[in-house]
Amino acid sequence: MLDNYLHILIFILVASLISIAPPILGSLLGPRRAYAEKDSPYECGFAAFENARMQFDVRYYLVAILFIVFDLEIAFLFPWAIVVKELGMAGFMAMFVFLGILVVGFIYEWKKGALEWE
Amino acid sequence: MGFEKLLFYIFAAVTLFAASMVITRRNPVLSALYLVMAFVSSAALWLLLEAEFLGIVLILVYVGAVMVLFLFVVMMLNIDVATLRARFIHYLPLGLIVAGIMVFDMFLVLGPADFGLDQFAKPQSQPADYNNTAALGQILYTTYLYQFEIAAVILLVAIVAAIRLTLRHRPETKYQDPSNQVRVRKGSDRVRLITMPAEPVPPSLTATLGATHTEMTE
Repeated sequence: MLDNYLHILIFILVASLISIAPPILGSLLGPRRAYAEKDSPYECGFAAFENARMQFDVRYYLVAILFIVFDLEIAFLFPWAIVVKELGMAGFMAMFVFLGILVVGFIYEWKKGALEWE
Repeated sequence: MGFEKLLFYIFAAVTLFAASMVITRRNPVLSALYLVMAFVSSAALWLLLEAEFLGIVLILVYVGAVMVLFLFVVMMLNIDVATLRARFIHYLPLGLIVAGIMVFDMFLVLGPADFGLDQFAKPQSQPADYNNTAALGQILYTTYLYQFEIAAVILLVAIVAAIRLTLRHRPETKYQDPSNQVRVRKGSDRVRLITMPAEPVPPSLTATLGATHTEMTE
């Protein structure tokens, strides 16, 4: 079975070669004449107001966690979609109940306004 | 077999390298990116075990969704590296004790007495047309139906809990609502005409107005 994945292994090798080689070539071949003024951060006009690592709003977290929940739901759908013909009505109802429970959550987040970006 | 063994050692080495980079980097964002590397090489290890669906789900769910969450959490926290480093020595003894207990626990579970090829024989390699995803689906929706529906309830609880914990409405925020904008009618919604009587002009104002008027005509 693993023979089917040989293409992906070759792809990984080529991709890592392409992504690793240019920085190494650049650092080996490129001229490097650093001095203090060149290494100092460039700031246009005025002094920086605050740290660049500013805190994110907590709303991004909500979006990410809702995304994870529905991503997992999709992960459950893949094996079901392959075997649904063999499973017949029982398998169909199993997924129906599964999606029904999650639709309750979906309606909840819709009505709560969690999908709105205020 | 020899080639697979070589691949296993390569991916295991990459996983160990990435995992040690995760815990030694000062910048948490770099740690999160090294964690992506660890996840991808662990997915390759799972593929070597012929658990192809699990390997793909590891990349789909963990790299695709959980890492986004990690990066958001890392950026939501106020990362002041200097104060973190100042407390390092202070927490070192406690950390070493916890780490020692965990290593001991792992040795009890994964030690040579309970682990290795004697206890867990190598799984038979499957033919080329074997479908791991279909095999998983065959038992997941029949034998493990109850656990599968429990998973739905856990996801529902996760949705409700996340919304209850983090949703904050901001009534003061002003924003456009396009569905209201397109429903504006031409007459009453755009311009409101009010009939009102003319205001009486105060005498001081009429004097100045009259003066400028005569100046302009001259």
